[in-house]
Amino acid sequence: MLVLTRKIGEGIIIGDDITLKVIEIKGGTIRIGIDAPPDKKIYRQEVYERIVAENKDAAHWNMIDLDSLSDNLTTKKENNGKN
Amino acid sequence: MEKISTRFGEVEYDPENLLHFPTGMIGLPHLKKFIVMPNKKKGPLFWIQSTDEPDYAFVLTDPTNFFLDYAVEFNAPEKQTLHIEQDDPCFVLVVVTVPPDQKITLNLAAPILFSPKSNRAIQVILEKSDYSTKTPLPGIETA
Repeated sequence: MLVLTRKIGEGIIIGDDITLKVIEIKGGTIRIGIDAPPDKKIYRQEVYERIVAENKDAAHWNMIDLDSLSDNLTTKKENNGKN
Repeated sequence: MEKISTRFGEVEYDPENLLHFPTGMIGLPHLKKFIVMPNKKKGPLFWIQSTDEPDYAFVLTDPTNFFLDYAVEFNAPEKQTLHIEQDDPCFVLVVVTVPPDQKITLNLAAPILFSPKSNRAIQVILEKSDYSTKTPLPGIETA
């Protein structure tokens, strides 16, 4: 991993279109500003990793469970229709 | 028609009629093409089968089946990826996790945006929401 030391107000440029800037350092927390094209997806790492883990989790299921679930699920919409 | 061998047996599909995820699923960027499989049973769940990696299949649902007020706004780059123009219809789906105990959860934190017109879909992360990746079904009174 490349490690760079920066002060408040200093930045880092990644490629031609991404700029990171250190905005504020307080206690153990650093606020970082990011300029990037709108189609670049930017996520907090732990949030992203949670989604990846969930996707991998969701990919492995058994047809027998789906079949038996489908027999028993009631949706809110159906419920609303009845009431 | 083409055939692939999946965890659920052999599936025949029309390559012209696949659901296309141009950027793949999050964390699984190589999963770009899926067959939409009709559920044999009635009900809100259906599933999609990856043709890129036959081991991968996802159960999906329309989240408003269970959460009436769940809504996601499509931003401009997302609309572009989906080839959505002005009034084209677009839908929100979510991934359902089906564990062996059948206590299913919905991933409301990372919905799938879908355009039926272009047959394109993308999974997005709702960073600023409190939605959980493992949202249990709401209690439904069966009185």
